[in-house]
Amino acid sequence: MTTALTRPPLVRSSDRVIAGVCAGLAAHLGWPVKSVRIGMALATLAGGAGLAFYAWLWIMVPTADESARRNARRPASPIAPAVSLDPAFSAGPPSAAPSQGSPAAAPWWGNPDAGTNAPGVSPGGPGAGYGSSYGPAVRPPWFRVRSMRYGKEILLGAGLLLVAGIMIARLLGVDVPLETLIPAAAVLGGAAIAWMQLDETRRAGLVDKTKADQAGGWARLAAGLALVVAGVLVMVSGSGSWEQTWLALLASVAVLGGVVLVLLPWALKFWRDLETERAGRIRETERAEIAAHLHDSVLQTLALIQRRAANEHDVVRLARAQERELRSWLFQDPGKEAGQLSDRIKAVGAEVEDSLGNAVEVVSVGDTAMTESHEALVQASREAMLNASRHGGGTVSVYLEVSDGRTEIFIKDRGPGFDLQEVPEDRLGVRESIIGRMKRHGGTASITSTPDGTEVRLGMPALQTDNAEGKS
Amino acid sequence: MNNVQGTGPIRPATPVRVVIVDDHAIFRSGLKADLDQSIHVVGEAATVEQAIAVIAQERPEVVLLDVHLPGGLGGGGREVIAGSASLLATTKFLALSVSDAAEDVVSVIRAGARGYVTKTISGAEITDAVFRVAGGDAVFSPRLAGFVLDAFGTAPADIADDELDRLSARELEVMRLIARGYSYKEVAKELFISIKTVETHVSAVLRKLQLSSRHELTKWAAERRLL
Repeated sequence: MTTALTRPPLVRSSDRVIAGVCAGLAAHLGWPVKSVRIGMALATLAGGAGLAFYAWLWIMVPTADESARRNARRPASPIAPAVSLDPAFSAGPPSAAPSQGSPAAAPWWGNPDAGTNAPGVSPGGPGAGYGSSYGPAVRPPWFRVRSMRYGKEILLGAGLLLVAGIMIARLLGVDVPLETLIPAAAVLGGAAIAWMQLDETRRAGLVDKTKADQAGGWARLAAGLALVVAGVLVMVSGSGSWEQTWLALLASVAVLGGVVLVLLPWALKFWRDLETERAGRIRETERAEIAAHLHDSVLQTLALIQRRAANEHDVVRLARAQERELRSWLFQDPGKEAGQLSDRIKAVGAEVEDSLGNAVEVVSVGDTAMTESHEALVQASREAMLNASRHGGGTVSVYLEVSDGRTEIFIKDRGPGFDLQEVPEDRLGVRESIIGRMKRHGGTASITSTPDGTEVRLGMPALQTDNAEGKS
Repeated sequence: MNNVQGTGPIRPATPVRVVIVDDHAIFRSGLKADLDQSIHVVGEAATVEQAIAVIAQERPEVVLLDVHLPGGLGGGGREVIAGSASLLATTKFLALSVSDAAEDVVSVIRAGARGYVTKTISGAEITDAVFRVAGGDAVFSPRLAGFVLDAFGTAPADIADDELDRLSARELEVMRLIARGYSYKEVAKELFISIKTVETHVSAVLRKLQLSSRHELTKWAAERRLL
């Protein structure tokens, strides 16, 4: 069990031949993929068992993406003491996709599915290894049972075993009264499906149901009803003539119709109450999430500001850092690709702002994915921002423009300026970290300094062969 | 913060009459205290309806307008400008916002505002911006210049293009320098042109931003919830 606990969750892998089932299974069990695939193929030869198993897993096991999305419907707390901690953290995108099943993926303010265990939160918790890695959030919703975990899976398995046993018994010549057993099983199965439905409705307020789930609910209800009716019909028709059966059916439908007519208003009212409650709960969850965020970010910062009210520099720094954090939380576009050049430049600007206290305003036009030479560009502009903030002593303006052929960054301050010729030879900041680095990576750097301010211009052509120089 | 640094536009002989529209009383009083002596705050408003009423009554030269305002149909600053449309010839609007969202900024500019600055701007800078707007010029912060470059593209206009949909090579140069944090004076020096010419270019860009029917502009702003 202890080894099983470290197993990765059972998800369908993106490294797929058909649906990624074998690869996922192999990753979960820690077996080589090839042998799992061969085993599956061999099992397929054995009366199609492998095929059935494969199809079953295909349907029941989510893909890695789906699983991650379910686990991380809300990102982990993006907050933080933006001020004292790693500034890159607060400026970065709020962890877009935490790895599924890791404790970081669990929203710390509490699991919205009250009563079920959050995946991976308690590694020593109850349940087999299967359970702890393939937690409730990964399973399809109708499989959740609060009191007995996996009760339904066990029940289903027992049922299947029973069927298999009966079939074997028949093969061996034992007389099994199939004529009664099959209708009875149909009735039982139909009832079970319908009751699962009820079980889920009861929880509807807690689960953020999608339309697809609702459609599934209706399908399940219809399937259950059809099974029960068919089972009853077969059972009844065994004992009497068809005419009688039809008559009985008609009578029962009439009675049922009457009952529905009487109960419908009540049911509708019940349904509306439920909907209202559900909407209320969703609102409450959202409110709680916002409150949690504000508590951990804004309120903390306000407390810090009160304590350091005497130090103007600190107050400004705290306020800027908090503003940046809140802005990124409010306006961060989740659809936007992370790790683009403009994000890096903004993160670097935030870092310089935090460490030196002067505001760094970044304006960007266009964007591009990071490459190795862009990394040099980022490092060079970081050095230029540090210089500008240190010697300029005011707001630093940073402008990034990415056009088809070229990436350019301008860093401007309003300090007293300096003469590049007069910078001592041993001072490496400007000469080595900015100009030298840009040259090594095939870019350009120029510095214009007047008594009104200094501007560093960095340029990097977009298409260029990576040269081996990568000492940055 | 927002380098709307001035070239010190000619201070008008008579004080500039200003109405401040913002739903936060603390911000309004702070802004009033920060503004120069030669700016007279003749009215304040906290909602869309109040703002339209006060502006119609006072006929100020400049309205300092928050982009996000309660009341009305939920349109905020945009709705105030629309409601004061008949006064646009005499009353200039300068948008103030804590929001960096392109959608907000572009929509209020397209409604008729003559400029946009963020609320973290200093008292001297905002005074300067008020004088500039009162004098009929446009006020561009580096960020707004960045929005313009992003929306119109950084390639200069061909002659065949509809002139409203593209920026000329010179306008692009001016916008780039403003985005880089240059003041109008510095832009003029860099391009060897007069400050008046810079102001003309900026006003032309503002006009294009307001009038361009370029459908990408709206789409672009909607897609860019922030910058």
